[in-house]
Amino acid sequence: MKDGGIADILAMAFMFVLLVLGAVLMYAYSLRPLQAATDRQLELKCEHIYKALETAWVEPYTVSFLRAAAENLVLEHPTVPGPYLRSAMENALDYLSPPDYEISAILTRDGRTLTFNENIGPPSKQFVRSGTISITRAGGENVVVQVVVRLFSFS
Amino acid sequence: MTLTQILKMLVACILVITFILVSASAYRQHRTTSALAELTDATSTIATQLAVDELAYVDGAGNKYSYVLDPGKLENLTFEREIGGENFEFQISLCYESENRTFGLAPPENRTNCSLVVACSLWLNDRFQLAKLGVIAWHA
Repeated sequence: MKDGGIADILAMAFMFVLLVLGAVLMYAYSLRPLQAATDRQLELKCEHIYKALETAWVEPYTVSFLRAAAENLVLEHPTVPGPYLRSAMENALDYLSPPDYEISAILTRDGRTLTFNENIGPPSKQFVRSGTISITRAGGENVVVQVVVRLFSFS
Repeated sequence: MTLTQILKMLVACILVITFILVSASAYRQHRTTSALAELTDATSTIATQLAVDELAYVDGAGNKYSYVLDPGKLENLTFEREIGGENFEFQISLCYESENRTFGLAPPENRTNCSLVVACSLWLNDRFQLAKLGVIAWHA
């Protein structure tokens, strides 16, 4: 075969490879807006989970889940007893978690940590919402507890 | 023109046609996914509007509790919204204790819809209870 013929075949093969690569890139890029919208929905779910735990009361008490947990970390005599709160909180996290997802809540104050739903495997993605809860001690001292709620994806 | 030249021309034509077809297909897919992303965002917007504003519980002193739903407000809710210049219809479901109540029209079978379930609180029987708000939205 002549040199010119080989050059033409190589050019065509190169164009074919470029075409395949271009097609793969175009299809991969076209899915990005949908993935971004799905991630925004999961951020929203995480925000709602935090707010639900912040406002909903632990049955049969009249104190919210996060406040009850913060009291357990700070006060000697919290409104909701520790073992009861753990059971109620884990039931609530289980109820609120979407299918194929897990939720954990971590409260921190002066090196002390209270974790709910800690035995979670390595996730493929996680969404975090953090905030604070203020608790007033008997002497009138205000104590701020850091709260982090995480939504883990395993899909 | 030799047979080799004819074959080269044929391969070049096939490459050009394939390139045009792949580009057109990718453009169509991009438009489809963009429309789905828009519907997904519209569903999120509707859920946020409901939880933060329209269904939010207001106590006797006039304090509004965002993310706490008042079931009494469901009676006067309209199930159409204009978002970004486009009209959407939606159905909502409220799941609490062992109840699952649905409000609004059922989603049409021949249209793409998007569903979203978010956690929330519910002011019911003088208590803040855990609940789930579900929204299914579609283009009107």
